[in-house]
Amino acid sequence: MINAFFLSSTIKHGVLLVGALIVLVPFYMMVSYSFKSPGEIERNTGGFFGSQELMVDERCVKLQDPNKDEVIALRPRFPGLDDDGVRKAFMAEVEQDCSMIPVVFNYSKAFSQAPLLRYLLNGVIVTVSIFLIQIVVALPAAFALSKLRFWGRETVFTMVILGLLIPVHAIALPLYIMLAKVELINTYAALIVPWTISVFGIFLMRQFFMTVPDDLIDAARMDGMSEYAIVWRVMLPTAIPALLAFAIFSVVAHWNDYFWPRIVITGDRSLFTPPLGLREFKGDADGSFYGPMMATATVIVTPLIVAFLLAQKRFIEGITLTGMK
Amino acid sequence: MGSIHLKNIFKSFGPTRVLKNVSLEINDGEFTALVGPSGCGKSTLLRILAGLEDLDNGTVSIDGRDVSGVRASDRNLSMVFQSYALYPHLTVRENIAVPLRMRQLNPSQRLPLIGSMITPATAKKEITDKINTATDMLDIGHLLDRKPGQLSGGQRQRVALGRALVRDPEAFLLDEPLSNLDAKLRVQTRAEITQLHRQLDATFVYVTHDQVEAMTMADRIAVMMDGEILQYDTPENIYSKPASIHVAEFIGSPKINIFPVELISPDQGTRFQIGVRPEYLKQKNGKFRLKAVISHLENLGPEIQVQFTLPGIDTLFHTRLDPKSAGSLTIGSTTQFGFDEVDCHLFNDRGVRLSPHKTRQFFKTLNDST
Amino acid sequence: MTAALNHQRQTLSAWIMLSPALILMMVILILPILIAFGLSFTDYGLGVKSVDFVGLENYERIFTRSTFKKMFTATVLYVIVVVPFSVGLGLGAALLIQSVRRGREFYKTIYFLPVMASLLAMAIVWEFMLHPTIGVLNETLQGGCDSAIIHGLLTGSWFGADPLASWYGDQCANGFPLWLGDRDYALWTICFIGIWQSFGFNMVLYLAGLTSVPRDLYHAAEMDGASSAWERFRLITWPMLGPTTVFVVTITVIRSFQVFDTVEAIFPDSGGPGKTAYVMMFAIYEKGIKQNLLGTGAAITVIFLMFVIVVTLIQRWFIDRKTHYT
Repeated sequence: MINAFFLSSTIKHGVLLVGALIVLVPFYMMVSYSFKSPGEIERNTGGFFGSQELMVDERCVKLQDPNKDEVIALRPRFPGLDDDGVRKAFMAEVEQDCSMIPVVFNYSKAFSQAPLLRYLLNGVIVTVSIFLIQIVVALPAAFALSKLRFWGRETVFTMVILGLLIPVHAIALPLYIMLAKVELINTYAALIVPWTISVFGIFLMRQFFMTVPDDLIDAARMDGMSEYAIVWRVMLPTAIPALLAFAIFSVVAHWNDYFWPRIVITGDRSLFTPPLGLREFKGDADGSFYGPMMATATVIVTPLIVAFLLAQKRFIEGITLTGMK
Repeated sequence: MGSIHLKNIFKSFGPTRVLKNVSLEINDGEFTALVGPSGCGKSTLLRILAGLEDLDNGTVSIDGRDVSGVRASDRNLSMVFQSYALYPHLTVRENIAVPLRMRQLNPSQRLPLIGSMITPATAKKEITDKINTATDMLDIGHLLDRKPGQLSGGQRQRVALGRALVRDPEAFLLDEPLSNLDAKLRVQTRAEITQLHRQLDATFVYVTHDQVEAMTMADRIAVMMDGEILQYDTPENIYSKPASIHVAEFIGSPKINIFPVELISPDQGTRFQIGVRPEYLKQKNGKFRLKAVISHLENLGPEIQVQFTLPGIDTLFHTRLDPKSAGSLTIGSTTQFGFDEVDCHLFNDRGVRLSPHKTRQFFKTLNDST
Repeated sequence: MTAALNHQRQTLSAWIMLSPALILMMVILILPILIAFGLSFTDYGLGVKSVDFVGLENYERIFTRSTFKKMFTATVLYVIVVVPFSVGLGLGAALLIQSVRRGREFYKTIYFLPVMASLLAMAIVWEFMLHPTIGVLNETLQGGCDSAIIHGLLTGSWFGADPLASWYGDQCANGFPLWLGDRDYALWTICFIGIWQSFGFNMVLYLAGLTSVPRDLYHAAEMDGASSAWERFRLITWPMLGPTTVFVVTITVIRSFQVFDTVEAIFPDSGGPGKTAYVMMFAIYEKGIKQNLLGTGAAITVIFLMFVIVVTLIQRWFIDRKTHYT
């Protein structure tokens, strides 16, 4: 029996490990590519880290190739050489300056070729604004739907349930037209506004508030709080676990969202979110830019992955909570 | 400062009539218990008094002022809830401070961080002093920095009391505050709340379904059933002079014995009901004797509780006997139980207690006929 | 008398508190649906002066033109491939993880990683790995061809079979597929990426579902004679996971209908070789945004919403009749 048990558990682990391998390969490749030189990427050599031999950035060199006037200006630095010799000597220097190990090349290119920092900042601005507005809108609504008695409550709640059925991506086209009509295309507002109402958030918070005892709200009323004060001073702090779950849900969705930014941001790089930035990189990438592109991908994927690894339990609980209703 | 007057209160939830013309006058400094079985409307009445529930008709006055439309927070009442309703994210100190901060500080002073900076030191000191007084009284000074989740049930209950008595309200409202405690702690806290009442000399309105709590704590008890107050009187009177069979049956454990009797006079028969509390039934003694069959015996140590039946009647009756005298009784055996005139409560066929005069008349007729 | 004041106050507060949400719901969710519905009967375009009512022309076009036939084919194929695999792998992974003693957290973490990662980024990585010449996949496969052991095992030639008759042997001899560049493989490859990305999410939901199955039921089943793991699964696990399955399937279906990132990242101009991966969201994007054919795009949107409603109605029906035990 011991053997049979051992055998079955070995098989299970075997299957799980193969699965884990398939899941991990793209991450492994992404990070590995981001370390390697173009040659190593094309030939698939160099293991995980690549050999990290110095490489010359051809573009960097080409950009600094001096024209005639510049050569003349350079003469004093290289006495005793003719113009051709000056150019050669200078180019040798440039080549040295433009040499770096591939990992530095890839990552510095990722940040210098495109304003990647700006993209990341935009990502933060957009996801944080979306989340905060969603909360400001959803919390009072959820409170009213769970703890206040008023005529029409059931009707409104039915509307919320129906609203859950509408995927915002599906109605992107009319939303785009509306935003175009009010000339909001290519603004932060366009990135944020369609997501300000989270019917799911209202529903989730309402379900959570239902579990808060009515006595607590009555106690707050006796203590002199207004209904709004109760929402922010009593319900909000009690709902922190549900809020975290919703935050995870919301931030993951909007940090990674590509479809909507793709539609409403056309060309204005200063408004790009991280996925748009990466996509643009791909658009003008030639062979030598695979490394920097993978570095960009790594940079974009890392924040959420790290957050997930640090607070795994919360993430999984959050997804479970949001998933199970 | 804290007299309460509820007048002709009506309240329905949809088609259910919860309170039917309830009136109640509570004197300043009095401890009143609202007692009744669950669903009798006692909690609703308390919530109407608190201002948490609207009334359909009637008036609520506190200290002579009509507060019927005044919101809960402006009635200057304190309330202790059954579930304690402590703010789970605040420490004990902050929990107790909430009613003070809400009343004594303006909105800007209540802001997080900045608020603390612009609050005058005197106001802060005043709040701290009041918290200390309250917590000293309840002996919870060592718990101030804990969160409710870290407290035991009894400690939470004290914090809830602390939050109620930190300010100086017109009256304290308590909604079944002991029902979540275990039996031993309940007895102890019962005594403490009574003591607190004496110390504060304030008006207490106490809702409970437990007649023992009502009997032991209250100055006056309002017995409620089906949305009406059946009797409002001192514990002694409620016990010894119940206004109706319902009250008599609700108060007292084991339950009062109700013997149906029919008085046959020459012209017509009249039905009555005689109530005798178990402790007044004597074995083979008393003026009126009943032949009883013992159906169950429970030895509690200091006394034996006896259940018996009477020939021809399905109901179980109760009595309590001294173990010394009840030694010979066994289940199934037959004996006699008797009672005297003075220990009887006489009710008419509708369950209403007869006046002393009518009671005397009844026994006179009874004696004459035998 | 001043009766019902609490009631009035609560009603007033409630409507004040609800009004931002209600207004936003109207403007952001309901109005666009009405607009889409209205525009789907016109030839509207942004910046185009004249708008004409064209009746059902847009719909007619969608249901007759070959492009849209391809769109439906690609979308439906994607959904019916991704959903069972994503749900099945999610369940399988959850069951396996639950049954092992060590490493649960480890597997859970790894399988969940793709859910966190930007699909666009990972699509680009996959595209790169699947590159016909420099991608690691074909290189690895090619490497296998050169190794006698692997070649022998995978083609069955060791066991006397004709190596060319097997897929692997054939590909070894004639070159491996172009994957994303090959119209026979493109959509399936997109499906694979979709499954790879989404099954971890389903796994987490199933794990939560599994923990809510009372352990006693398994003991009872064992006492009652359900001795094999399969019997216990049939008898308890699968029925108890009913509600989870309904939810997981619904959400996977709705998400699969919305696939866009992978297609746009890999086939930005065409929607795949021979439009084999021309899925609905991509069609909306291409017709509506890129070509300014908003009427057509609106019509696809309306059809899309119909799909969503049908799926949800089916879910409701399942929930109402099949999966409630309590």
